[in-house]
Amino acid sequence: MMAGGLFSQLSVLGSSLALVFGLFVLWRRSLGAYVSAFAWQSGVVAGVAAMVAHFSGDHALYLVAALVFGIKAIAIPRLLTVMGRRFGGDRESHPYVNTEASVLSAAVLVLVAYSVTRPVVALSQLPTRGAIPLAMGLTFVSLFVVISRKKALTQIIGFLMLENSIALLAVLCTYGIPLIVEIGVFLDALMGFLVMQVFVYRIHETFESLDVEQLRHLKH
Amino acid sequence: MTSWLVELGQSTAALLMAPALVGLIRWLKARLQNRCGAPIWQPYFELHKLFAKEAVVSTNASWLFRAAPYVVFTSTVAITLVVPLMLVPLPFDGFADLLVVVYLLLLGTFFTALAGLDPGSPFGGMGSSRGMTVAALAEPTVAVAIFALASGAGSTNLGHIASRLIASPMAALTPGHLLAFASLFIVMLAEAGRLPIDNPATHLELTMIHEAMVLEYSGRYLALVEWASAVKLLIFFCLLANLFVPWGIATTVSAPALVLAAAALVIKLGMLCVAVAVLETRVAKLRLFRVPELLSVSFVLALLAVTSSFVLR
Repeated sequence: MMAGGLFSQLSVLGSSLALVFGLFVLWRRSLGAYVSAFAWQSGVVAGVAAMVAHFSGDHALYLVAALVFGIKAIAIPRLLTVMGRRFGGDRESHPYVNTEASVLSAAVLVLVAYSVTRPVVALSQLPTRGAIPLAMGLTFVSLFVVISRKKALTQIIGFLMLENSIALLAVLCTYGIPLIVEIGVFLDALMGFLVMQVFVYRIHETFESLDVEQLRHLKH
Repeated sequence: MTSWLVELGQSTAALLMAPALVGLIRWLKARLQNRCGAPIWQPYFELHKLFAKEAVVSTNASWLFRAAPYVVFTSTVAITLVVPLMLVPLPFDGFADLLVVVYLLLLGTFFTALAGLDPGSPFGGMGSSRGMTVAALAEPTVAVAIFALASGAGSTNLGHIASRLIASPMAALTPGHLLAFASLFIVMLAEAGRLPIDNPATHLELTMIHEAMVLEYSGRYLALVEWASAVKLLIFFCLLANLFVPWGIATTVSAPALVLAAAALVIKLGMLCVAVAVLETRVAKLRLFRVPELLSVSFVLALLAVTSSFVLR
């Protein structure tokens, strides 16, 4: 019983940390801060996966945790830092939604996530059920980052966070989907990231800026 | 009877200790910046000097300007009687809970702002308008952050919250608890006028907030205001230290327990001083228009803390 209590508490704690790192992106403006927030968030997600593996006895999840840590907490942040150095100083100074409004709407989104997942949480018997609304909230918040920010790199970070939140949700709701599916998702995300990276270079080459607003000029 | 004496004793100790806290932060900051720094007890010398000096009051100032420092000081002293410092539960717990603390804090801020407006100097008015903006954003967050703890403990009584946490230490790891700590820390920086929201070390910048409100004060009035702001910092440190990490607080009235509690309090306050000094050395002051952003972040953290502690009950 004690172990069950600890398990559910740690899973809620991990998900809240992941959510806080998501909120961090809405508040800060420099790419460096975004990258470190994303790296920390991936580290936390890997930690939650390892913890679920430990408590549920499903050892395949350790591999998932190692993959998340290796790819998302180390490799992708490093690539992002390289890109940031190249396009340095390109700050998110005028997002579509200003900072106060976006932080407050993130709070509303988390509350919506709580109410949306209420039936799931009520039906579930898992010790991790308390963390499901938080992971769902992170999904909404990352989607909000993608739609409310103008710079291509910020949108990529939002997309990667969305991917993180889905991985977190999968680990929490089902104790991990089959390994082959998990690896497929990873490859998908990695390919997506690489393709987006190419696009970022192209956008920068054409417009000397990563502002996606500029893409409108292509119509004329 | 003894617990009443302890109550008054710890409140007096808090009053006497508060200037040393400010001195310690200044000294630590000076060391971190490779300066020698004034000794820790420098604020006592300053208070002593100010109390001995003549108070100059503007001819435009009304009685309000003279009354405000006393209101600010007494409302701050009143809070020290309610906040858990060394002993829980306290005899005063029956009179006042967290809402009283929040309103007493607001009373002090309100009178400081009025005193800033009263003599009609441009700096005072500017400082008051800024001070009220920050207070309006920060005070609800204090209440909401402590509500997160209150909903876990089942009581809005500060002493009760602390003793409940001592009884079930696992609750310190809940997200509600940690998020509330983070948001209260940010609010502490705003309310106590520390960097990145306000710079306590300058009188020259156009960005000052608290210093602008009290710019017209001199002599004993200034001493009271400065002392009150040091006590306010101590109150916030005690809220952070004793509501979130209550271990070490005496739960029974006995000499060894109280000595241990005093030692634990000094260590916890010292650690918070180090944290604040390092933070103030590392960060630059935020532009005034970015302050609401930071405070809205802390409000959202507090809101999430309340939500998660309600859901997890």
